[in-house]
Amino acid sequence: MVDIQAKLKEIGPFVEGPDDNLLVCRCEEVTKGQIRKAVHEGIFTLEEMRRYLRSGMGLCQGQTCGKLVKGIIASELKVSPAEVVPASSRAPMRPIEMCILAEDGGDDDE
Amino acid sequence: MKIERYDMIVIGAGPAGLSAAIEAAKKGLKPIVFDENAKPGGQLFKQIHKFFGSKEHKAKVRGFKIGQELLAEAEEYGVEVVLNATVVGLYPEKEVTVKVGDKVKHYKGDAVLVATGASENMVNFEGWTKPGVIGAGAAQTMMNLHHIKPGNRILMLGSGNVGLVVSYQLMQAGCEVVALADAAPRVGGYGVHAAKVARCGVPFYLSHTIIRVEGDDYVTGVVIGQVGPDWKIIPGTEKHFDVDTVCLAVGLSPMSQLLKQAEVRMNDTKGGHVPVCDKYGATSVPGIYAAGDVSGIEEASSAMIEGRMSGASIACYLGYMTEEERDARIDELEGQLDTLRQGMFAPKNRGKLVEKTEEGIDVSMNLLNKGYVADDEIERFPGVTHQKGIHPVIECTQNIPCNPCQDACKKGCIRIGKNITSLPAIDPDKKCIGCGMCVASCSGQSIFLVEEDVEEGYGEVTMPYEFLPLPEVGDKGVALGRNGKYVCEAEVTKIRTAPAFDHTYLLTIKVPNDMVMKARFYKKEA
Amino acid sequence: MSNVADVVIIGGGVNGCAAAYYLAKSGIKSVIVLEATNSIGHGGSSRNGGGVRQSGRDVRELPYAMYGIQNLWPTLSEELGVDTEYTQKGNLRMGKTPEHMKKLEALANSAKSVGLDVRMVDQKEVKEICPYLSDDVIGASWCPTDGHANPLTTTLGYYKRALELGVKFYTEAPVKSLQKIKGKVRKVILNDGTVFEGETIILVAGYESRAIARTVGVDVPMTRLIDECLVTEMQPHMIDVMFGCASADFYGHQTKHGSFVFGSDSGWETVDEMVDPSTNIADPSRMITNSMTLSASCRAIQGYIPALRDAKIVRSWCGWLDEAFDGVPFLSPVEEAPGLILACGFTGHGFGTAPAVGLMLSQMVRGEKTVVDISALRYDRFKPCR
Repeated sequence: MVDIQAKLKEIGPFVEGPDDNLLVCRCEEVTKGQIRKAVHEGIFTLEEMRRYLRSGMGLCQGQTCGKLVKGIIASELKVSPAEVVPASSRAPMRPIEMCILAEDGGDDDE
Repeated sequence: MKIERYDMIVIGAGPAGLSAAIEAAKKGLKPIVFDENAKPGGQLFKQIHKFFGSKEHKAKVRGFKIGQELLAEAEEYGVEVVLNATVVGLYPEKEVTVKVGDKVKHYKGDAVLVATGASENMVNFEGWTKPGVIGAGAAQTMMNLHHIKPGNRILMLGSGNVGLVVSYQLMQAGCEVVALADAAPRVGGYGVHAAKVARCGVPFYLSHTIIRVEGDDYVTGVVIGQVGPDWKIIPGTEKHFDVDTVCLAVGLSPMSQLLKQAEVRMNDTKGGHVPVCDKYGATSVPGIYAAGDVSGIEEASSAMIEGRMSGASIACYLGYMTEEERDARIDELEGQLDTLRQGMFAPKNRGKLVEKTEEGIDVSMNLLNKGYVADDEIERFPGVTHQKGIHPVIECTQNIPCNPCQDACKKGCIRIGKNITSLPAIDPDKKCIGCGMCVASCSGQSIFLVEEDVEEGYGEVTMPYEFLPLPEVGDKGVALGRNGKYVCEAEVTKIRTAPAFDHTYLLTIKVPNDMVMKARFYKKEA
Repeated sequence: MSNVADVVIIGGGVNGCAAAYYLAKSGIKSVIVLEATNSIGHGGSSRNGGGVRQSGRDVRELPYAMYGIQNLWPTLSEELGVDTEYTQKGNLRMGKTPEHMKKLEALANSAKSVGLDVRMVDQKEVKEICPYLSDDVIGASWCPTDGHANPLTTTLGYYKRALELGVKFYTEAPVKSLQKIKGKVRKVILNDGTVFEGETIILVAGYESRAIARTVGVDVPMTRLIDECLVTEMQPHMIDVMFGCASADFYGHQTKHGSFVFGSDSGWETVDEMVDPSTNIADPSRMITNSMTLSASCRAIQGYIPALRDAKIVRSWCGWLDEAFDGVPFLSPVEEAPGLILACGFTGHGFGTAPAVGLMLSQMVRGEKTVVDISALRYDRFKPCR
């Protein structure tokens, strides 16, 4: 069980950092500062961070930034990265055109 | 909607996937292998260097040749390989959807092997998204598959095997590697790979990381700085380099997305999100297997063995092999895998500072800290002896599982023994005939032929050479020491190769007698 | 004891977080929210197609759906300090056949009868409203005050604000049962035995509400159903309206980001069983897409919006829908279990009404009359068919 308010109190308020402008999710252009600040607003998991800031929603679906975002959340929460649960993976594994999918399983398909 | 059903579906035609398919096909299965690339072989085709290990591991064979051999074997056993086929989903009941051309097709496997490999990690610093910052693997693909120079002046970040090997290949491609940096205090990859790079004149900056990359629209420069024990940059240690490319070799992460979609039990490890697998490569979902880098980053040699293990397990799971047969084969393969996982770089030693070799010799700290063995350290090692007449000098100073040099010498000059991680030693009673086979066979390029008094006051050093254009006999240039710095003038006296050398040239230079234990690389005068 | 509060809310989705927020805003700050999974909004709240609509609803939902759009949605982003991406550019519910049109017309008429500004439009006008539609679309119902929003940021926005106002949130806190103390439902017991206590308990946990309600003798007539969604790559900005279909072929909208989010199905969902493939045992906590629906969805969408045929699909997902027997939620106090307020069975269209529902839940807690009459949504409204 995670007590969100207790954790927020434990980690203290958001303090600006020197490299907050650094891009972390380059597909969606999410910065380190945005991620760090979000942790202090109660966003403790990769899934919630993705919903909140779109990190990991781009073309690579988090394959590039996932590890980086995880590290930042862990650092902000003062826990080991192993304690931050990885986000889920879903089909399609590569972007694929609607028309190609539309042909799959339609009447014309034998 | 048509769903084609197969015994075995393999996702990824790299070393693990193909090896698994071949193993299973040998037992009578009909596997189908999908790969999203235009060419199969995975990472193998980018590996232009000679592999380590022993004969059973294809030691001294270049990576891409191993790839070609695998493909030929796959064809021989009737393995169906579908290229330009992207597996877009792994659904319940082991159904995969595959995009081939502009169609999506459905397949179901009685068993599915996920061998999708890994992707490169990124590290972020100011400017990391500028054009010119690329992964080392990407640079390798550009150079070795597409024959495009990634850039002209390059800084490499990362001193693991990928960073070291790719630095060397960048130089072979005609790029200038201005520096190699790593935030860690010690070189992470094999010492011989580092030595190859260091003696070409590339300075190593351990305990350094990238502060920022400069340039408006693309990379024009990079600044690195030293990190203290708290991983923060020490003020005043900034170093600037004019570069147009920064290569990142900071590790790989498994591409385990299909396994996650399939709800396979996963383990979140330091090395990435990997499936929980038993020794057969079976995941928690009956019929779904994983092999190769996707189940944990190692190298192509281990991937091939893991692939064969999964292939055998699947063959048994589907009734094409008895459990006894499978267990015998797994034992055999585990033995091969185990041999690879020994020595200084064994998984069990990861992160540890190994201070002495298995023989009790102090390891070269200079090699670990700067990338080259120092002059006052080199004499410790059993491969380095002084003799009259031509003789090999083996500067292999770390225990890694590798022994092609032993087999190379027909005269028995080189001894490693049953334990292939042992340091090679020179047998002083055997007579070297200077054939150079050992020099060419060493995947680490760490063997030299040395002969004093070839003429009054001068000796000769023969080194492995893999750069173009080749120097010509009579060329005059300079010799560089292990540290990549000038040691003396040098004249090229011989340049030769043979089919058995597999594109490694032997370059012989004439240097003063007192330089034969120092001169280790040749360069034309600038 | 910090496990005791004025209000314990079971369910950290958009309705639960909205209720927590409106309670705290009204001065009741002793509020605890219990979320079973490790993330807020893990259920339908983060998986739906983002519709904020009045049209196409059962007439019983219309009063509060309209209240939310008139009074709450327009200023919500400012109020929560997040971009809810609320866009009020209308809702086209499309039809391709005369039967579709009849159905749409019936819905439109009943909505008009309670004051909704919705009307039927013909093919010509449909194309004027949205020029990207297929010629197969012969008409639609058009409601200009409908729209869409971003359910992910809206849910997390309510959560964030509630946190700021002092509401306590616990994640990884799955509830096993409720217990009465001297006739009042007060105790909330987690799977691991941890006990919370509240003067009022709001049970707003989607389908999981059913098992929990049973522990105090109340069974709610609903089933669960898997539904799927997909999202495209960013596209140039083309379409502002919210889409729906008479035959529920698909629904969705173009987001602020530029990607299109759509929901659809293949029919398999009603018989789909979520299973842990490692054990082959049914496991409704899993949300696994099936191999047909993504393709079927694309077929459906392309049949209405051919302009999107080359749009690339980046991701698909699914989520559980708690389907009430008659398609509208159970939203009332449970008098036979005093202290318990039930809010579930949103049947896949609970996002757009979440602000209004959250507000009304806070009113129910305080014993106030709700902003609109929701007596038609009582938990005990089921009547046998014979």
